[in-house]
Amino acid sequence: MVEEDVAVPPPRSWDRPAVTVPVFAALAAVGGQFPGFTHQANLFILAVGGVFVWAGLAGWVRQPARPPVRWRAPAAWWWLLPVAVFGVLESATFLLGSSDDYPTFSRLADPLLEREVVRSVGYFSWLTAFWGLVRR
Amino acid sequence: MAIGGFVLAMGLFVAVEWAARREGSRIPTIGDVCGAVMRAEVARVPVGRIVLLVFWWWIGWHFLAR
Repeated sequence: MVEEDVAVPPPRSWDRPAVTVPVFAALAAVGGQFPGFTHQANLFILAVGGVFVWAGLAGWVRQPARPPVRWRAPAAWWWLLPVAVFGVLESATFLLGSSDDYPTFSRLADPLLEREVVRSVGYFSWLTAFWGLVRR
Repeated sequence: MAIGGFVLAMGLFVAVEWAARREGSRIPTIGDVCGAVMRAEVARVPVGRIVLLVFWWWIGWHFLAR
């Protein structure tokens, strides 16, 4: 792999788990209060996601390039297996109308995500993974 | 059947990630794959980075707000 020439900002004092985890937990607790299909939920996702996308593209907290990767490109094709199984199922159930007999993944998740606690856990997971992408 | 299929897909995600984390494995972790995708550029535009960040934003909107 070729190392890219990317300007990496100096480390931010607040970019550490002791700061980010409580902030994400607070955001997740707030986000979990907003039921789906509401203006509040849409605005919250729009605002938080917008800041994260901006931070990711501006490189606010981008980390230095990692050591050369040890893996080989052909082995990466193994990831196509779960992606293909999921993609085929999701497409098929979507084309069949996402009924009770053939639900899409999001239809299966909806009853769980109606509970505030589960929604907050979902927000926390989403934010944590999002931050991981922003820092890459 | 659909539920079983989705459980199988989730199991496969976990299995491949587990295989990738074994000592000496040549399979990349999901983080490695995301990192490789995010380095993709077209005419110096970080297309991979844009696509992955916007995709993850959409995932949050689709499951949590929609």
